Amino acid sequence: MVGLYRYPPEVNVRRFIGEIIYALSGAIGMLAFIYPFFLSNQANDSIGIAHGQDAALVTTALVGLALIALLVELQGQAISAKTVAVLGVMVAITSVLRFIEVAIPMPGGFSPVFAPIILSSYVFGGRFGFLMGTFTMLVSALITGGVGPWLPYQMFTAGWIGMTAGWLSRVMPHTPRTRPSKRWLPRTHRHRPLTIIVLSVFGFIWGLAYGMIINLYFWPFAIGPIQQAWTLGTSLGETLVRYTAFYVATSLGWDLIRAVGNMVLILLLCAPTVRALARFQRRFHFEVRSVDA
Amino acid sequence: MLDARGWLLWALVALVAASSTRNPLYVVLLLLIAMIVGGVCAGDRDRRAIMSPLRFAVVAIPLAALFNGLTAHLGDTVLFHLPDWLPLVGGSVTLEALIFGAMNGLTLTTIFSGFTTFNRVTPLRDLVRLTPRAFHEAGVVLSIALTFIPQTTRSLNRIREAQAVRGHRVRGLRDWLPIVVPFLISGLERSMGLAEAMVSRGYGAISDQAQPPRTQRLLVLGLFLLLAGWLALLFLPTWKGIAVGVMILGAGIIVGVVWLAGRTVSHTAYRIHHWTARDTFAALGCGLTLAVILLPLPLMDRGTLYYSPYPRLTLPPFDLFIGLGLLGLVVPAVIGAAHRVDQT
Repeated sequence: MVGLYRYPPEVNVRRFIGEIIYALSGAIGMLAFIYPFFLSNQANDSIGIAHGQDAALVTTALVGLALIALLVELQGQAISAKTVAVLGVMVAITSVLRFIEVAIPMPGGFSPVFAPIILSSYVFGGRFGFLMGTFTMLVSALITGGVGPWLPYQMFTAGWIGMTAGWLSRVMPHTPRTRPSKRWLPRTHRHRPLTIIVLSVFGFIWGLAYGMIINLYFWPFAIGPIQQAWTLGTSLGETLVRYTAFYVATSLGWDLIRAVGNMVLILLLCAPTVRALARFQRRFHFEVRSVDA
Repeated sequence: MLDARGWLLWALVALVAASSTRNPLYVVLLLLIAMIVGGVCAGDRDRRAIMSPLRFAVVAIPLAALFNGLTAHLGDTVLFHLPDWLPLVGGSVTLEALIFGAMNGLTLTTIFSGFTTFNRVTPLRDLVRLTPRAFHEAGVVLSIALTFIPQTTRSLNRIREAQAVRGHRVRGLRDWLPIVVPFLISGLERSMGLAEAMVSRGYGAISDQAQPPRTQRLLVLGLFLLLAGWLALLFLPTWKGIAVGVMILGAGIIVGVVWLAGRTVSHTAYRIHHWTARDTFAALGCGLTLAVILLPLPLMDRGTLYYSPYPRLTLPPFDLFIGLGLLGLVVPAVIGAAHRVDQT
């Protein structure tokens, strides 16, 4: 008789607490990016141009702490040797791509690192995806000399890209599921073109969103024309309008190139890459048991 | 020469100093310090730099000046006038706006230069060694990735050469497929072999043990306090003292969890680095700079840290004591120079 495996209660409790840690870390990371939009109820008591310079440092420290907590949780769930090995090698591959990107400047914000993060996360899942995004940014920063205050934000955002790409495989599985899945979901393993289209649109959206999110960490401290600058005490609507003007004037063209680049790379690489990764994922299912067990 | 922890402290203090002042004289002084320290301490080790600070400055300063000059129509000294019907850029272009933009570019260059120096002077292995013991698995992933990068690069070159020998020419994006797919598969094959080797040597025997539930619960508490404190700080300004206290408590719990988790991991090092008197001198120099920037010390005019060229351009003020305090960051260069003299 075939039945679903039920996890012991302590594992379910551990998973539940793990989900809370994900949610709290995600909320802190999110707040670090969007807090300028919610300061409309405060009086403007800043010192002229240097409005809250220390806030940047405090925010970076908070993002760093949230990232640390999430990493402790993620690796505390017992990372197997297989995950460690495949993660290390995949991060090395993606970091080499980033190195090439630095050595040979590419147009606009185009970067070849996001497509591998999205595709491998889609196959290996959200947890792997978060680690893949985070470590790719960290290792590539180490080898290209890109360590700086921007790094925690890049790590967090790239981690989100990987995590959300991993979630895609829950609603759009790349292999036939052994466990019964929801009937209303498309059986995408039989319709590869749909997977490719969805993933490339996903890459396009993240290409824009990455720039939009990363901009937010320095926008409150960037000084420019009043129509594009953040000031304490403005309403949420006005702040959104100003940020949109700032984004369109400074980054949209740059980010569009990244978004289109992601889409083209995924359209081109999705089918063979997902096939290769999925084959290795099945091969990685070997298990070692002690003789006594 | 210096310990990686000392260099990390130096980079952080340089970041705090550069982002705490808007006075171009102090910013230029910090930039010079970063370049001197990089030049003296790094020597020829400049392989890990995205671009030189000079190249960065050539791009960042004119661009920032141009952007601010065209879009911020403030200041008394009008250089020329663009038609008002032009969106965003229409209006007066002033000298003050250009200078202000250039100042922003200069600050960016200084921060970039500080971290370029940090990246140049700190060996990669020492940076990985800074990984807290609690991140044992993360450290292993980092080590594997860094170790495999040269192999991966060689593998990519081999595949490109092999395809070229077979007559394959890269003319468009589609032509990358016969290179990318074998490159990916060879990497995955390597990871398969590595995983088997790790398992056969008993790696999973330790790492398959999940962390104790106490760690998870403390993490939840720490994150919750951090988030609650921050929300209170943002939305309830009158509760500022309590909010900051709650945030510090949350941060303390997370740091404590990392420390406790690290205690359970035994750690050995092939080459042990000790904190030496040189590191202490460098740290004292950083402490001096930090004190000058953050503390309201007597005899110093902290108002000189903030400077604005608006509405009419004036010379920026300079406080000698603050300038001397910033020189605390140059201590590693002095130590480096003395070390070189000793060696010769």
